[in-house]
Amino acid sequence: MNAKKLMSGLMAALMVMFFTVTVQASAKKELMMATTTSTDNTGLLDYLVPHFEKETGITLKWTSTGTGKALKLGQNCDVDVLLVHAPPAEKNYIEKGFGKDRREVMYNDFVIIGPKSDPAGVKGKSISDALAAVKTKAALFMSRGDDSGTNKKEKLLWKNAGIALPDMEKWYVQTGQGMLATITVAQERNGYTMTDRGTYIKYQDQQGGNAPLTVLVEGDEILLNQYSVLTLDPKNCAKAKYDLAREFSNWMASESAQKKIAEFRLLGQKLFIPNAK
Amino acid sequence: MEFLASGFLKAIELLIRGDASTWSAVSATLQASTWSMLISLVFGLPCGFALGYFDFRFKRQVRTLVDTLLALPTVCVGLLVYAFISSRGPLGEFELLFTLSGIAMGQTILAFPIVTAITASIIENIDEDLKLTLVSLGAGKRNIILTCLWEVRFGILAAAVTAYGRVLTEVGISMMVGGNIKYHTRTITTAIALETNKGMFADGIALGIVLMAIAFGVNISLSFLRKR
Amino acid sequence: MGKLLYELNRVCHLYGDKKVLDIDTLDIPAGSILGLSGPNGSGKSTLLKLLAFAMAPSQGKIIFNNRPEAPMSPRVRSRVTLLTQKPYLLKRSVFDNVIYGLKIRKDTKNLKQRVAQALAAVGLDFSEFYGRSWHELSGGEAQRVAMAARLILRPKALLLDEPVASVDTESASLIRRASLAARDSWGCTLIIVSHDLIWLNQCSDTRISMAKGRIFSTLEESILPPPYEKRQGGTIKDLGNNEYISLSPQTGSAAVISQKQIKISLSKEEKDGYDNQVTAQVIQMILEQKTGNILTTLSMDNFLINLSLTREQVSTQGLRPGKKVILMFRSQDIAWR
Repeated sequence: MNAKKLMSGLMAALMVMFFTVTVQASAKKELMMATTTSTDNTGLLDYLVPHFEKETGITLKWTSTGTGKALKLGQNCDVDVLLVHAPPAEKNYIEKGFGKDRREVMYNDFVIIGPKSDPAGVKGKSISDALAAVKTKAALFMSRGDDSGTNKKEKLLWKNAGIALPDMEKWYVQTGQGMLATITVAQERNGYTMTDRGTYIKYQDQQGGNAPLTVLVEGDEILLNQYSVLTLDPKNCAKAKYDLAREFSNWMASESAQKKIAEFRLLGQKLFIPNAK
Repeated sequence: MEFLASGFLKAIELLIRGDASTWSAVSATLQASTWSMLISLVFGLPCGFALGYFDFRFKRQVRTLVDTLLALPTVCVGLLVYAFISSRGPLGEFELLFTLSGIAMGQTILAFPIVTAITASIIENIDEDLKLTLVSLGAGKRNIILTCLWEVRFGILAAAVTAYGRVLTEVGISMMVGGNIKYHTRTITTAIALETNKGMFADGIALGIVLMAIAFGVNISLSFLRKR
Repeated sequence: MGKLLYELNRVCHLYGDKKVLDIDTLDIPAGSILGLSGPNGSGKSTLLKLLAFAMAPSQGKIIFNNRPEAPMSPRVRSRVTLLTQKPYLLKRSVFDNVIYGLKIRKDTKNLKQRVAQALAAVGLDFSEFYGRSWHELSGGEAQRVAMAARLILRPKALLLDEPVASVDTESASLIRRASLAARDSWGCTLIIVSHDLIWLNQCSDTRISMAKGRIFSTLEESILPPPYEKRQGGTIKDLGNNEYISLSPQTGSAAVISQKQIKISLSKEEKDGYDNQVTAQVIQMILEQKTGNILTTLSMDNFLINLSLTREQVSTQGLRPGKKVILMFRSQDIAWR
């Protein structure tokens, strides 16, 4: 029995086995999207996508990761379209030639939440004053610390307040995880954190409407959280399904979709405000 | 603490109610792990046999290498596979990323050293009398290999069960290569990761129990193959 | 005498750097029974494995049926079988164990009948045993099944490594009987390693003792093993205690002397030319049932000599285990191999 022949026979069998499992129809219309965990965790996509598929006949599959990885997946042409919320990074993306069209579809805002007892006394303050108070009192502050869209926003807020990023401070806790996980840590340790309102409402919903952490700071213009659909530049990714991606972008901005986004509620509250032009 | 108890109850509810996303995750888990199990056996058994049976120049070093691969972190394997099957990678044209096949590929890489190392150990420790007996009864090279493997079948079963356990419970590869896409590549383990990350601890426990139930079921069916 | 089944010439085997077997010459006639004895580490098992063609010798060739053969050779496979010391069966039923060799040979006619025959030869009832699993047998039963698996192949040579050491007396007796029946039935050559010297003497045509990898004694010749020294213009073997053996000029690697040239005396005496007169002690005496002689083992310092003595001689000299005697022999009668 020739060992080499056996080996090559097994190799061939392996390849066949793997690829028969994959050769399902790539013929039907399928779109692969990368989005962020905060978007996905609210449940918006589970609610919206079936409507999209029914109205367009396109099957949408999505994977949710951090913003950084989502952008990377687009760059590597592993997905066809992105739904993210990091406008500066998105504009940069287009400049670098990875992204083609950027269409704003909905927004919500970021808020500072914290324990009802508010040890640092941030309630009602402007965002810059609130962060200054946190630093002065050395109050526990949880950050996602994962370079996600939310995290980038948070870093911007510190910068805007004229405070150096408290990277090494003992009261600044970088969890390296998603939004809900970070909120959970803040709850455990009675700390403050910055979150998008959509995730906060979801968190409240999980806690049965009676969460120990409450919204303390809101409303500043800088706290706006803009979500956009980003198509990929065919020049960088020839295989990316540009037409289908455009269809998705158009659909998200369509009247019916925008209406549905407005209708998405948790605990009777709106998580996203449609703002496609 | 309460999430442990509510998790347990939720597990029963999920299983009985026939919750679609749970069962889709179960199916995904079973498909990926069974395929990777079978393929790693097909490759690992002969390699393990060769490693244990023959003497060759760098045998000890190869053995050490295989043993080291037993400690492969799953996320690293996931990254490795991603590099290959990503659109920009050498195998990009096969579109294996975000598919169960891709996950199975990564899990095969994980299971292969386990099967090889354990089989090599088993073969090395085969009673010398076995070889003498086989030679005496007139067995040629082919028969010696086949009969030896059959004789140690209980040990090999242990290797398969060990590898299966590792593959069934890994998250790094499934997450990285599969993308945790609901109804497509969401496995039980990635679903657990997702739920716990969302703070839904009870759901995490529930799915964990479902996973244990699967493992238990598989082991029960394999137990009939054991020596009575 | 008939033709030779095995011929070994200058066969050596090493494990790493250690020489564990050093056979100058060994001829085994077909259809004969060879008894091998010796202490642990004497090389008996190694020799047996080489004769079974389970491995190839480090040096030298083994000639089987007039042709040099190597392991896996088709002329040797299932023609030479070895029975291990510990009963070893494949993890399957008794029936499947016994037919394993036949299946490989694709010799599958009349299986049930032949298996029944083979089992009967070792005293096992077919209907009671054929379906049992390997783990449902006692040690003796397992060894008997192993024997049946080999007998069914009607091998030319049957090598038995301490076949009765690990089994009960009934199984031992059945196995002994079956081996002899094989010889009588189809002229099977038996090579038996055993500590049971009584049985060996009973049935062997030839007896070999081994020590330190060498054959040191057959019934005709005794080896005076190395080391040797050059002293006073000649070659000697030092025995300690101020005694030594004068040897003839060295022309080989091992000194041997024929049995017939050794005389036993109770005291040192002047006897023409018998320049070697060394003390030895009787260690063991066994009755050779075939010839009626007494096989006597004597110890000289650190090696052993076997002499076949008549009953007369034994009683005349009052020999008994423990008695110190003088062995007399001439240096010029010493040959070199």
